Formats: sequence, C-alpha cells, structure tokens
Amino acid sequence: MAAVNVNPHINTSPFFGAQLRKLAIGASVTLFATIILIAYLLPLGNMTTISLKSQQQLVGSTDTPILPMSAKVFVYEDKEYEVFQVPMQDGTVKPLALVRKGRQDSDFVDPDNPDAGLINWQGSWRTLEPSFVFEPHFENYPRAWELLDFPLLFKNTLVIALTGMIGTLVSSICVAYAFARFPIPGKNWLFLVLIGTIILPSQVTLIPTYAFFAKIGWTGTQLPLIVPHFFANAYNVFLLRQFFMTLPRELDEAALIDGAGPLRVLVSIIIPQAWPAIISVGMFHFIFAWNDYFGPLIYLLGEPQLQPISVGVQVFNFQYGPNPELIQATSLMAMVLPLLIFVFAQKIFMRGVVITGVEK
Amino acid sequence: MSPTNSAPGSASLEASASGRPKRSTLQQQQRTWGWIFLSPWIFGFFAFTALPIVASLIFTFTDFSLTSDQPINGVGLRNWQKLFSDPLTIHSLGVTLKFALIAVPIGILIPLGMAALLNSKYLWGKRLWRPLFYLPYMVPAISSVFIWQSFLNGQTGWLNRMLRNFGFANPPNWLQDETAIPIALVLIGTWGVGNAMLTMLATMQGVPTELYEAADVDGAGPLTKFRRITIPMISPVIFYNLVLSVIGLMQYFVIPYVITRGTGNPNQSAYFFNMHLYKTAFTFADMGYGSTLAWFIFIIALALTAALFATSRRWVYYASGD
Amino acid sequence: MSKRKFSIVLISLVAVLILGALPISAQEPITVTWFVGLGTGTNAEQIAIQEQVVADFNAANPGINLELNIAASNETSRDLLSTLIASGNPPDIVGPVGVSGSNSFNDQWMTLDSLVEASGFDLSTFDPALVDLYRNDAGELTAIPFAVYPSVTFYNADLFDEAGLSYPPSEFGAPYVMPDGTEVPWNYDTVAEIAKILTVDANGNDATMDGFDPTAIEQFGLNFQWARVRLIWSYLQPASFYDAAANTITLPEEWHQATQWYWDRVWVDHTVPNSTYAASDLLQPSGFASGNLAMSIVPLWYTCCLDNSVGNFNWSIAPVPASFDGEQHVAMDADTFRLVKNANRSEEATAAAFTALSYLLTDAAATLGSAYGAFPALPAAQPVWFDSISARYPGEIDWTVAVDSLAYANPGPLHHESNVPNYTQTYERENALLSLIEGDTGATVDLEAELATFESDMNAIVSGGS
Repeated sequence: MAAVNVNPHINTSPFFGAQLRKLAIGASVTLFATIILIAYLLPLGNMTTISLKSQQQLVGSTDTPILPMSAKVFVYEDKEYEVFQVPMQDGTVKPLALVRKGRQDSDFVDPDNPDAGLINWQGSWRTLEPSFVFEPHFENYPRAWELLDFPLLFKNTLVIALTGMIGTLVSSICVAYAFARFPIPGKNWLFLVLIGTIILPSQVTLIPTYAFFAKIGWTGTQLPLIVPHFFANAYNVFLLRQFFMTLPRELDEAALIDGAGPLRVLVSIIIPQAWPAIISVGMFHFIFAWNDYFGPLIYLLGEPQLQPISVGVQVFNFQYGPNPELIQATSLMAMVLPLLIFVFAQKIFMRGVVITGVEK
Repeated sequence: MSPTNSAPGSASLEASASGRPKRSTLQQQQRTWGWIFLSPWIFGFFAFTALPIVASLIFTFTDFSLTSDQPINGVGLRNWQKLFSDPLTIHSLGVTLKFALIAVPIGILIPLGMAALLNSKYLWGKRLWRPLFYLPYMVPAISSVFIWQSFLNGQTGWLNRMLRNFGFANPPNWLQDETAIPIALVLIGTWGVGNAMLTMLATMQGVPTELYEAADVDGAGPLTKFRRITIPMISPVIFYNLVLSVIGLMQYFVIPYVITRGTGNPNQSAYFFNMHLYKTAFTFADMGYGSTLAWFIFIIALALTAALFATSRRWVYYASGD
Repeated sequence: MSKRKFSIVLISLVAVLILGALPISAQEPITVTWFVGLGTGTNAEQIAIQEQVVADFNAANPGINLELNIAASNETSRDLLSTLIASGNPPDIVGPVGVSGSNSFNDQWMTLDSLVEASGFDLSTFDPALVDLYRNDAGELTAIPFAVYPSVTFYNADLFDEAGLSYPPSEFGAPYVMPDGTEVPWNYDTVAEIAKILTVDANGNDATMDGFDPTAIEQFGLNFQWARVRLIWSYLQPASFYDAAANTITLPEEWHQATQWYWDRVWVDHTVPNSTYAASDLLQPSGFASGNLAMSIVPLWYTCCLDNSVGNFNWSIAPVPASFDGEQHVAMDADTFRLVKNANRSEEATAAAFTALSYLLTDAAATLGSAYGAFPALPAAQPVWFDSISARYPGEIDWTVAVDSLAYANPGPLHHESNVPNYTQTYERENALLSLIEGDTGATVDLEAELATFESDMNAIVSGGS
C-alpha cells in the first residue's frame, strides 16, 4: 500500500496541472468530509450549548438564543427588571427596563437615567426584543461532577469493565483456541449453537437468571455483571477464532513436536501473534460494559455506591428532575474517557477490527 | 459462520489426523485438551443460556405471574394461541419489521459511505477523522438518548431551528409525531454505526492495490472502481454487519423505551416488539405469555438469519474461498 | 518484555478490583428493606431527608437495620419491584405508594390486623374514614393511613396581575369576579373562559383575539399536571365506570362530555398545552413550575416540584372549580407505606419490619410529609407540616384551602384510581387514550369512535384477555 511512489506507471515528467488537480480534489473531499462530520456531530453542539445554560436561560420557545445568553437586567429600587429594546415615539430604539408588565401598556425605566421615573409605553411588551448578554455557566460541570459523584461512578464502571474484560479475554481465548485447533467431535454444531446465542433475545433468559443470582445472594453486588463474562461470549469467540484460523499451523505443530503442551502453545505461540485481535476484543468489551444499562439497573438496585456511569446518569436524570443543562454536562463528561482510550489504542484496535470482516 | 462455511479447515485437520493412524493417541489427547479449553463456554452455556432458556420454554405453557400469589398452572398451548389473537403482538411486530425495512439499509449505507470517504486517498489528515466519526459510538446509549432528545426538540432543538431557517415553516415534532418518530429513531441510530464503519474501513484498506491499479489501466472511473472492486471485496464484512443489524433490530429496545418513557406513543407508533415483550413480562407481570413472546421473536430472528445466509451465496465474495 | 510487564500490571490491577467488588459480609442486626419509587420520594432533596429518617431510626433501634432502596427511574420501578418479588427477594416496606401503585400489587400486601394488635399501635387518632379506605373486601386492614393529597387549583398570581384578572376565590362556594365586575360561579366554564385570557402568543395576542397564533404560544392558561385521563374525568364529574357484578366497564355520559371538554381546551381554545408544547423547553421543569402557565389543577403533591418558583414568581392555591353538576368535588390521592408478604420472613423479622413501618407512619410522619408535600393523616403531625411547607415556599400561599378541601373529598367508590381487574393494563390503556388526545394526531381524531374503541379494549382487559 505504501508502494505508490515506486509505481512505474506514474508519469514523472513535471506536470503542474496534475498536481493542482490533486490538490483541488483533496480540498473538496476534505471539505465534504468536514460537512458530513459537522452534520453527524451536530447533536453534540446542541448538547454543549445546553450544558452551559442556566435554568432561566433554558426556558423559552422557538426564538430563545442558541448560545447561553441571559436577559440583561437592571436593578431599580432593589429589584431586578429585564431590559428590552423599546421603539420610542421619535423613531429611536432605547434599552429600557420593564418594571410593570401589562397587556395594553407597560411601565419602563431608563437604566441611564433611573431618576427620571417610570416611562409609560403603549403596546404589548411581548413584541419587544429583549436585550441579551453572553453568560455561559461553566459551573454546571463542577456541579454535575459533584452531584453525580463522578469519581465513584468511574471507579465502579472501571471495576466492572476491566474485570469483565479479563474474564472474557481469558475464557474467549481458550474457547476460540479449542474451536480453531482441536478435533472435537460435533465441533461445527457446537459452533453453530454458540453463534445462535447471539440471536437469543436477552429477555428470554432474564427472569430465570435473575432468580438464580438472587438465590445465591449475588443481587446487590457487581458479581452478576462480571462473573458470566468468565464463561466466554459468542461475539468474542467468533472474532478470535477467525483470527486464530489465519495463523499458520506450522509453528504450533513444531512446538508440539518439541514437546510443548497445548497450553504452552497457546501462551507462547498463539497469543503473541494475536495481540490485535485480543486488544479489539478487550476494547469491544470495554465499550459494551461502558454502555450496558439494563444489567446494572436491575442487579444494583438500591446500591448507588456500586452503580456504573450509565445507570448513574439515568438515576441523576430521574432524581434531579428535568435539569437538561446538568444532564448534558454529564453526557459530555461520560464520553471523554472512552474517547481518550480509543485515540491512544487506535492503531492496534484498527488492526484487530480487520479480522471481524476479513474471513467471512 | 455456518457449519458448511467453517468445514474446510477442520475437515482437513481430521483428514490429516486419520491419515496418520500412529498419532491416534495424540489425537485422543488433543480431543481431551479441546474439551478442556471449551469447558468455560460449555459450563457458561448451560448455566446462563440453556437452563434459563429451557425454564422460559416451560413458562410458555403456564400462567406464571410475577405478582400473583396463586400457584402456577399449566395452560397448554393457550399462550401460543394468544400470539395470533393479541392485536398488540401483531401491531408491535409490524412496527418492528417496518422499521427494520428502513433502518437496515440505512445502517449499512451510512457506515459504507463514511468508510469510503475515510478511505479516499485524497482525504487530508486521515488519522484525525477516525476517532471523530467513531466518537458517537462511545457515548453511553442512555446519554445519547438525552442528547438526541434535546437536538430533536420541536421548538428549540437545533434540527428544527435549522429547518426553519431553510424555509420549512412547520418542521415535524420529531418525537411527538407518529409519522416522524421512525425517522427520528433512524437518525438516533446513525450514532450506533461506528463499529460497522470501522470494520468496513479496515477491510477496504486491506483490498489489494493491484486491483485498483489494473482498473486504472482499463480507464475505470472512481465510481466504477467502487462498485466493481471495493463492494465485492468487502462483501463479507457487509454481510457480517447485515446479519448483526437484523439481529439487533429484532432486539431493539432501550432507545425507544427511554424516548417514549416506556409507552411507545405517539399512538403506539414506536411500540416495538421487545417493548411489548418487556411490558407483558415485567409490567403486566405475565411471565407465561412474556416468555412465549420471547420465544416467538427468537424464532423470527432465527428464520431471518437463515434467510440471509441462504441469499449470501449469491452475492458475498470470499477471496479465500479456495 | 513490555507486554509481559503490562500483563502483570493488568492482572494485579484486576485482582485488586475483584477483591473490591466482592460483597462485604458482616454480622448485622435484622435488616429491613424499604423500597421507594412507586410514587414520590425519589428526588434528591427527598432522598436526603429519607436517609436522615433511616439514620435516626437505626440510631434509636440498635437491633434493626433499616435499609433504603431507591428505584432508579419511575419507568422501571414497578418492573423492578415485580422482579424482586418474583425472584423471592422482595423488600419489606414499600412506600410512599398511592392507590394506583398499590392496585398493581394487590396480592402482595400483608394484612396488618394481628401486628397492630400485638404491638398496640393506636389507630384511634386517625380519621376512621381514612382507615376504612385501607380495608379490603374481607374487612382486613392492608395499610395504615399516612398522607392525603387533596386536589387544588395552583395559580400564578403574577400572570393574573399581568392580564388584569382577579384571583380565583379562596373559599369553597365563593364566586369568581370577571374583569367586567360580574360575579360568576367558580366552575369549569369560568376556568375555560379566563384560561383563554391567560393564554398568550409571541405577539402579545391572547386566545380570545382574532390575531392569536396557536403555533407561537408563549404562555398557557391551564393544565392538569401529570394527570391521568381518569383523574381529568373525575375533576369534571366524579363517576364510576366499573360494574363489579357484571365485570364490565361503561363510560358514563358525563365522561364523554368531559373528554370533549378537555379536547376543546387543547385543540379549539389552545389553552391547555398539547404534548408537543408540554415537552418543549417553554414548560420545563413542568408546566406550572416554568412560570409560563397560569393555572394547574392537581393534587397537593405538586408542592414537591415548585422550588423553581421561589424568587421567580408568586403563586397560591384555590379550591378546585365546581364540576358539571355544579358541586365542588375534590379528587384526593392518598399515600402510605405497606408491608410486603414474604413467606421466608421470620416472625421476628416481620415484627422488626412493623416497628420500622410504625416509625415511618408516626415519628417520621411530619418530616416525611413535608418532604413529599403530603398532608399528614396523623393529626399530631399536621402543625409541623404547616411550618415546614411555609418555610419552603415563603410566598403568601393560602394553605387553609388544602385543609378545607378534605371535607369535599370523593368517597371511595368514586375514587379516580379505584381498582379494576388487570389494573396495570387498564392503566396503560388509559394513558394511551390521553396521549392520543394530546398528541399531534389528536387534533383530527374522531373522539366518539376512539372512546368506543377504548371502552371495548378496557372490557377485553378486565374480562381477563390475558
């Protein structure tokens, strides 16, 4: 793929037109991608502006400002009044503070000259443009962070996600190894059953499973969210098996002849070659655990000190009523960590992702 | 993914094993090891899948209720007969299938288009784009529902503000209008395509460059190349995503449930099958009928998957098919 | 090798995390669990108060460990409770729970007669009518009264001032004074009339004017906050729709009229917000609490959620308007705490649960009552309640209206949440009807046809379609 420059077919004679054309195409493709990306991420913009508003700034209708703008107020006789742009009889527009609201006429005061007293204005004050000042409320973030106890939620999510990740890696690697390398009778049917479990709606098994965990006293702990992952998962086994199948058999056979046991082959030959697939599986599990909502919801009922972030955000929404600005702030904070992990692990992850598709 | 597909590899191994009888003890030993490595899944399968599923199959023949004191009675096939007389079952299945008809193609085309764009050799700063397009996939589902709810707000949401600026005086109230809510759900669904996009992109990058160079020599345009080379070469991953997306839609639940506060309104236009299942089993506490519904959707998903596999032979191209 | 190092670090990290995740088991006194989530009690301030109540109880009762379980969301709380019960792991105490929430779990409540007798709990201080509310068909006591929420008219005094309207009357039977000085009865016709003046669009036109633009409304006249359709019907005319002997549901003629009345307010006058407006930012955190809605007819528990008003607008409460029959009828919600049956619970544990229950109903009644906005059924707790609610809402609010309303409460058979078979399914069906009326398609719907479908669906549900 990196061999473009040595391609003998490329015409190397100086040809500025082609260079220019390439530049133009590059610019327009990049512009197009930018537009698509902006459209795709637009809800995040909506979220960010809301997360910076106060409750007062949120209430409104179609013409409320998009940005966190506050109505300008003026303090008159110890009370705050909103300032509006009022058209005067002489044709000028003056910013005046609305002191008494009325349907036919209202009373205003001039912030520049409050001593002049009330100015009566005929007409409906609702038709007037309010004066706005830009006033973002960054304090929503620390407030949400504190109210929601983010450090605790992060810790809980990480406990559940990382232990489950280890469990699913160890077990799925073993099972995938078995499917990829060992002559088990009826293996194809077993594999079909494994894949079939993907299709199974989780609701089918929910009640019996819940009753089982309740019987052994695991409800109210994180164990039901972790332990089942120690028994392999169809998606992961599938992905890992596909990868193991592509690895040359000669190496393991050579090791077997040298007297290495199957476990040794797995640890010292298969796994070192399979890092991309293993990291992909790990990340898939991490994202799954980060997003999982229903499991933690039912198993950690009444144990707020054990809840992960997905439930925490929902509970917060419930307990603090409609506080959209705080909800949006929490949403933004909740996606920062997985994003950072993704940015750093991107290269390996991408290599692993190839496998899910390459072989059927 | 089916036994026939995975047959060549294992068949060759067994053939080679039986071709050398002196290694039969080794083969015996290999089998034992195979079972040992398989054992976590076998155990997990019985504990967390097989036993619960058998339990729920038994429930389908009973009147097991979550909140009733009465002893559980067998009711024969009554729950299964009810499937076909319960108007909500038919309605919710219709909602689910109709939605799948729009959502499945979009769920393939959008990530395909994004992957093609990110794979373009003309795109500047490639590294930067991937995490940005993948970002929404990492937003917890619940948070993304909150984010979209305010984006789609009929009055102050950005979408309708933009539509009004573009001259649509009365844009739909996305989440209150029964004709608009499926579109709203599809829009929300576009945030879940990150994985499909990455797998497609990764596979596209693996398509041998020689193929494109040969096409260049033949004077093929970029669209022809995409249709004649890229699509066939990545068809296995398209197929893989297609199967996952169909299965996912048969289990579609959390987003419509949270958005409609569990009601499926307006006018039950977002009353998906799994919401009916969940409500029957947990809200109405009728586990017997709920289990029947779960089994019913399981059978449908199985049938659809089998149908997809049947068509796959016609259009999915396996480079390593030999 | 760095990968090996990485694995070692990872594995040890995980080991630490697993140990952290394991449940801590210790020898503990009898644990009594208290499940909150079927009704009020789930917002942050209430949780803090409930936690304090639990701490106080545990300090005073060393042999018992009361544990608070708060459901994560109101959409799922009912389902969670079913799951807990089904898996043989029910909570001991459930509450606050209203009539409706109790109906869904009708089989699950413990009868309390023997426990009351054994502990010597004094029932005589309660209003006997309230106690009878909780007796089942066999005459057994299924719960002890805790709190009542009579319905009242919440009104935004600032918006009435701006419109130049006089306030709703503060006494039962008193007339309303229209802007032209005429006195008219305080009934739903009057409410409909002044709601139009109180509904204003972006241009400052109100709903009585020709230029009024119903697509750009910025202030609404009326709503029935979070009301179910049966409650709205019962406001307009209390009636019963279920015939227990025949096990059938028949919508009384008045409820057909009431449906039409409500539809007219939403789609003809536009004085009641449709579901799009109700969900918009204009009416957040809730209709009346936003300050952009003039009157809300709603039970007293709405005081839970008006903290937004403090410092923003002045409001007070007035009696409910007279129904179609010309009389004022107060629909009243009632909450209590209930004990859940549990065959595996020892007698000792049941006694402990009842001790905790009694504490919530008596010692903690005033504290919890003010947290929930509930008027305590226990007379001794009532003065404390007045003090705390006046401290929370310092405006000039006429709380005597709430007390006066008790005398006008609808009798049990006319209760808006009276039980019917398969209650939860009828509940869902009622919600679907209301959301149809308020939703976008409601504007063009054939009401009589929808009511006929509703009636037949309801009959199918009560006759045990499942």
